[in-house]
Order: sequence, then structure tokens, then C-alpha cells
Amino acid sequence: MISENNSNLFELITENKNLVFIDAKGDKSFHLNEILLPVESISEQSRSLVFLYLDTNIDALAVYFSFLKSDHALVLLSDSIDIKLKENLEKEYEPTIIYDANRETPSGYQPKEVLGDVVHLELFVNENFNTEIHDNIKILLSTSGTTGSPKLVKLSADNILQNALSICDYLPINSKDVTPINLPLHYSYGLSVLHSNALLSGTIVCGLPDVLDRNFWKLLSKYGFSSIAGVPFIYEMLNRIGFLKKEYPSLKYISQAGGNLSKNIKEAFNNYCLQRDINFFVMYGQTEATARISYVPTSELKNNITSIGIPIKNGKITIDKETEELLYSGPNVFGGYATGRADLSIWEDIKELKTGDLAYKDASGFYHIKGRLKRIVKVFGNRVNLDEIEAFIKSSLNTSLLACTGIDDKIILIAHCNNTIDEPKLKKLIFETYKIQGSAIKFKFFEVLPVNKNDKIDYKAISASFLGA
Amino acid sequence: MSNHKKLENAFVSILEIDATSINDDLKYQSIPEWDSINHMFLITELENVFDIEIDSEDIIEIKSFADAKTILTKYGVAF
Repeated sequence: MISENNSNLFELITENKNLVFIDAKGDKSFHLNEILLPVESISEQSRSLVFLYLDTNIDALAVYFSFLKSDHALVLLSDSIDIKLKENLEKEYEPTIIYDANRETPSGYQPKEVLGDVVHLELFVNENFNTEIHDNIKILLSTSGTTGSPKLVKLSADNILQNALSICDYLPINSKDVTPINLPLHYSYGLSVLHSNALLSGTIVCGLPDVLDRNFWKLLSKYGFSSIAGVPFIYEMLNRIGFLKKEYPSLKYISQAGGNLSKNIKEAFNNYCLQRDINFFVMYGQTEATARISYVPTSELKNNITSIGIPIKNGKITIDKETEELLYSGPNVFGGYATGRADLSIWEDIKELKTGDLAYKDASGFYHIKGRLKRIVKVFGNRVNLDEIEAFIKSSLNTSLLACTGIDDKIILIAHCNNTIDEPKLKKLIFETYKIQGSAIKFKFFEVLPVNKNDKIDYKAISASFLGA
Repeated sequence: MSNHKKLENAFVSILEIDATSINDDLKYQSIPEWDSINHMFLITELENVFDIEIDSEDIIEIKSFADAKTILTKYGVAF
């Protein structure tokens, strides 16, 4: 049971007396108060900007919860971002405190040892930085994974609390659950798994290898994982490595979000789950809505396999009559973007989130996505802005005769008029800058790039020509 | 082209790394390029290059360049 008279996520989590963390690396278990670190005394400033470069080990969870408890505002980032991109972000936002287990002390910062009961780590502090932050801002997330884009989504303490409560309303989480942390914490879906399970679950397991590691499956059976969360690519991997041919007696439910999973794989997983009394939750959301917007009630999935379902508790979906864009309102809608330090002093009161997705509502009240308004593709669960990639390649190659488009959320197609283009070199550059795997990038040569009546690049014609080739 | 060379080319083209950085000790997750996503593309590339179908169990057994040779040997690819 979640108490109703507490309005702070961390306080509510401390009320979950069943909560235990298992560190799979050391096979040890801890209560939340054992892993908390004394971060209050680390800086003279009680509210400042903190950069946390996180993996999914026990240290990362300890540092995250310790700062969640504090008054600081936290930027959650992938620990595997390229060092140059990390430095760019820090130069722009001037965080007072940095946690990055993989780095020597950044210039201008002082290393400070933090000793907890079981976790010992080092933070970097620069008291000269005191970035002004609006009172509402608690967590800032990037929408683009490991690309190191300075564009951040501003979320309040209430946003994260309300979204976690709405998720707890439909997921069958209870105190007997053993939940693996198998998604990154800087990713809104991964963070939502941590929050909702910290509120109601029994055991949370961290320090896990990825699903392509045999040990993940040994640990699943050893600890008895009751759920697995995955983006479409994880389900494609699970399908390919024979997940559906085996039995997992401890599994109670699986969830999928982070983009559209192809219908045949979704059906295969749903059939597997229906035969075994496992619940399969297909969900939809955006970082701008903290994470979750809608879900398909598990008993309805078979008949609504391509739907994004119905809005979460306290959320409301409307469809813009003119543009057909899916609009969402609810207590989990963000307070605007930050692209630089100055934006942190502002909180925008956004009544309706414009998702950029085109949708319709069917006769039974279920919503369906039918396209996108913006030039965005989701490659491996990460959002990629095609205009940004296009501008980057144009400037790298010093050409204007180039266009990028997305194919089925799997491939970024680079259409170009340069038959001497060095494809491997360009792929390498894109991987280094955006962490987009080269296998997801295809090239197609055109004598002349197709244009429409207004002389704008005709991206549909480019896709059609690639798919027809 | 020798099978060793074919295997090396598959690693070079999927992981986009230099052939000089490939040796038997090159391990899954030891470099940023060999992540879970590229691992799946690598498996597909090996299937295409050697015209075989790799069993689901073997996908997670390929944890290094040396493992790739061991597993491929099972499918009749000699090194």
C-alpha cells in the first residue's frame, strides 16, 4: 500500500519496508538506508546542479537515491558518453557536483570521498559554479541516449512521483517481486521501472550483465526474476536467442515500451505469455511525459495488438482535430526543454504535451499511432532527429546535396549525390558522434535528389526508391 | 579468401574497427563498438558470409573472436 498523504517519491520509497537491493556482482543484499551516502555535506550549496553518469551497478543506485533525497537538481546521463561530449555538456551547464566513476578529476573540480556504510565513492565538486535552477526542477533527462545532446527534458519531483503512482496502478507489482534493473537509469523507461518498483516491489536486482550474456539467464533463475522490461530491440534479441523456446517459472509479467515492436514478434510473445499466465504489457510514452502515457491492458492485447492502449491513471489523451497529433495532459507532463544553462531558471507550465505522433482512437476507445509529425526516427529505442543528423553530415562532408530519412524505425538512409563518398569512414564518424551503430545506416546514390512541387527534398520518394531497389 | 580473412572482414565491416585491432582476445563488450546491438548484426553477417544458420544457443556463446572460430567450426567452417 502506498500512503496517500505523502507527496515525495523518496519519502514514499522509504516507507516500503519490503524493499531490498541485491547487488548481483557481489551477491549481497542491502536495505535502502544501508546504501545511502552522506551527500548533504559534500557541497556548501544545498541546492545545485548535479551531473550523474550512471550505469546500473549498486554504486549508481546508491548515488542516485542519495541525491534524490537531497534538494539538488539531477541530470541523469549515460556513463558511456564520449568524453568530449561529457566535457561539452559540463561546459554548457556548469554542474557543481559530478559523479563519474570512469574519470579522473575534471579540471576545475575537487575530488571528494564519500563514505557510506557499504558504498564508497568519489564525487567531483566545483563550488565556483552555482547554476540557477527553478524550484520545480528535480530531474533532467536527455531524449537521445548516448549522443550527448545538450537538449534536456525538465521534470519536477511531482512529475516523477505522479508517473510512478500511475504506473503502479496498472502493473501488478507486489512485495514478493524480484525486479531486475536491465535498462539504463538515464533512460526514462529504465528510471520508471526503478521508481515504480522501489515503491511497491520486494527486491530490486542491480549489477546485471546484458541479456546476451549467459550469466543474465543464470541470475534470472537464481534470484527468480518476476519481470523483464525491454525496448523493441531487446525483444528482437530475445526472440533470436530462443527466449520463447524456454521456460521461466518465476516470470510474472514482461513489459515493452520505447517504440513500436513489429506485429509478428509482439504476437509471438503474447502467445507465449497467454499460454503461461504471464502478463505482457505493451506501453507507450515519452520522456516529456516523465515516461509513461498509455498502456494496453494485458487481457486486451490479443485483440488490440497494434494499439498503444488507453491513457494511464490521471492522464488524458486527445487528438488534435486539424493535425491528428496525439496530445497528452496529466500531472507527469514536463516543464519544457533546456538547451543551455539559462533555461534552467525557467519552468514552463505546459498543459498539453504535443507528442509529435499522429494517432487515432478506435471504436472501443483504444489509441493507435499512425505516423510522426516530426522528422524523428527511433533507432534501438533512442530518438534520433533526422534534421540534426542531416545537418551534421552536410557540414562534415561540406556538401548540400544530401538527405537523411528513416526507414521503419530501423534504418537511417543517407541519400547523396557524391559517388566517391567514403561510407565506412562516415559510419565511423556517426558512431563516434551519435553512438548509432553503422549497421543501421544505409547509403543510396542519386544523380539528382528527388524534390516535391515546392522544391523541397521529397523524403517519401527517397524511401520508396530505397525500398524498391 | 581464407575463412580467417572472411571472419576478420565481417568484424571490420560490422564493428567498423581496424583489422589490426582484431585478435583472438578481442571480447564482446570490451570495446564500445562490440555492444549487444552490433553483436546481433555480427551474427547475421556471419550467417550470410558463411551461408549457415546459427542456433539461438550459440549466439550467446560467441564472446570473443576466438569463440567465433570455435563456434563456426561446429558449422563446418574450417580455420
